[in-house]
Amino acid sequence: MKQTVRMVAAFGLTGLLVGAGCRQAPAPVPDVEAGRVASVPSAPTDAAWEQAPEHVAKLIPQDLVEPRLLTPSTAEVRVRALADGKMVAFRLEWNDATKSDLPGPAQMIDACAVQLPKTLEKEPPAPQMGETAKPVEVTYWRADWQATVDGRGDTIRDLYPNAAIDHYPFSAQSLAPGSPEQAEMAKRYAPARALGNLRSGPRQTPVEDLVANGPGTLSSAPSRGSTGKGLYGKTGWSVVIVRAWPPNLADGQRTNVAFAVWQGAQRESGARKMRTGWISLVAKGTK
Amino acid sequence: MARVYNWQLGREMSYWYPESRPQRQFAAVFDTNKCIACQTCTLACKTTWTSGKGQEYMLWNNVESKPYGSYPLAYDVKLLDMLEGQRWSGSKYSGQTIFESAPAGERVLGWRPEEQDYSYPNVGEDDCAGQVDHGALVTIPHMNWFFYLARICNHCTYPACLASCPRGSIYKRQEDGIVLVDQSRCRGYQECVRGCPYKKVYFNPMTGTSEKCIACYPKMEQGIQPQCFVNCIGKIRMAGYLSKPDQARPDNPIDYLVHVKKLALPLFPQFGLEPNVYYIPPVHAPLSFNEQLFGPGAGAAMKMYRTAATDMDLAGLLCLFGSSEMVMSKWRRQGEMVSGLDDKGTELVKVPLREPVHVRPGVDPKLQIIRTNCP
Repeated sequence: MKQTVRMVAAFGLTGLLVGAGCRQAPAPVPDVEAGRVASVPSAPTDAAWEQAPEHVAKLIPQDLVEPRLLTPSTAEVRVRALADGKMVAFRLEWNDATKSDLPGPAQMIDACAVQLPKTLEKEPPAPQMGETAKPVEVTYWRADWQATVDGRGDTIRDLYPNAAIDHYPFSAQSLAPGSPEQAEMAKRYAPARALGNLRSGPRQTPVEDLVANGPGTLSSAPSRGSTGKGLYGKTGWSVVIVRAWPPNLADGQRTNVAFAVWQGAQRESGARKMRTGWISLVAKGTK
Repeated sequence: MARVYNWQLGREMSYWYPESRPQRQFAAVFDTNKCIACQTCTLACKTTWTSGKGQEYMLWNNVESKPYGSYPLAYDVKLLDMLEGQRWSGSKYSGQTIFESAPAGERVLGWRPEEQDYSYPNVGEDDCAGQVDHGALVTIPHMNWFFYLARICNHCTYPACLASCPRGSIYKRQEDGIVLVDQSRCRGYQECVRGCPYKKVYFNPMTGTSEKCIACYPKMEQGIQPQCFVNCIGKIRMAGYLSKPDQARPDNPIDYLVHVKKLALPLFPQFGLEPNVYYIPPVHAPLSFNEQLFGPGAGAAMKMYRTAATDMDLAGLLCLFGSSEMVMSKWRRQGEMVSGLDDKGTELVKVPLREPVHVRPGVDPKLQIIRTNCP
């Protein structure tokens, strides 16, 4: 039944693309197929994506652990994948009527994530954040990090243009602008940054490498060299996440991949998300 | 959910984690009758801890003019509405806590303030609509009384912020019961902001993590009271440690006021968190309002405070408030003198129960001049 629905949706999408005069994309596929290219694209608009088959993944609410997402939001995420032997790039696209990239109290951020098992195993870990002794690797992209990478400044006025600030301790006259002493003073009032919390920015990349051993265990992982780029268009987000190719995954072999999408305007954050179960990720080899 | 005992409710209740009380519990008593809302506590905290980027709107300590003042806006009445009224059977709470009334899929009954709810640090500040020449401009439920409610994090025995965090980034210290957000682990989901009924966790948009009052733990570890306590002009505050009711020690100032005399009461005990900042209720506010804020013990506490001057022990202990910056784990009264002592029994401060009265005549007999009231 699910397959039928997926195929109907996929044919509909293909028809739209053809009708709009686009170059015809490969037919939608039941798995996520990572075809081989010389070098993986880093931009969502790269022409290389046109030759990558699209997998339309239905999203379901995270409703296994509290706090749950009780109201479904994003229906599906359209996924394409390309690999170059070292890296694999995923392009995730989903409809989102509101761009949410300004952090603040009660302001949630648009985001997406790609999850793979840490090791190739016959029995994959639980799809929901892995399980004890069976970790999963997550690469996470956020719209506010993208805005920072794209040039948004690291001041409160970049978030609230009309904010009035009397004084910060690090702006004292005795501290030379840009000096280590000034940076040290700023850290005193930014405890997460002082502790090296990778979540706390300012960021050089819009993605973060993470690892998890079950719900609630998500932690920063040593960088796997992941990168990303997100663009917000008329219908929603188009985001490329590039991460390391799973070790020991040879051409023609399969592993699993899962995706998650958060819509800030729907107040989705953390465990309140739309997600997939495991989907086959197939290494398609040289084209 | 686990079953835990909440002595403020006089019964067991449901909580996300099993009961695990710290070795000792940070606690405080605030005397609302002495607060003048000078906000020195607010500024002492602000300059010490929240002067950084993204902390501009944070008030880990705030003083609000009740009944209307609230920060963030309507933090209290909104949740009271959601709880649909409270029910006490004597000193036992027969209503539902925010843990017991959590909707399906949630860990607690909560809500998340909007950005604009933080735009009014103290709406209705000093508004008193009665006693004007031509009558009041508006008619409102509470016409002509107000009092000041100073608030910090309650370092609850059953914190809703801690229960709400899906990744265990909030912890309660075993050594002193202080509740902290692990800044290296927090990922800014804001579930704690949603869960805390007192709204004492704040999201920092610049670091992307949530931050809260830390009870000045570096000071408490040195036996020194927090910044908002030692800078209090009205000397309304005393910080210390609270025992369980069955282990109360009369020579512990906090135990004496909370457990022995039952003069100091928790704020919104019906929420079910067993908060550890205790308030001496304002004696001039209506009993029904005090009962809503402080529970069924409010009436007896108001009565006791009105006659506190006749109780030498109680009056003596109240004289120790603001008398030393050190944490007074013990106290004793000897005649007209009251002492505060540290853990080892060393005397930290000694104050008279009654200050000597000096009368300065209006006429200076030596200089043959009339004195003015100028200082």
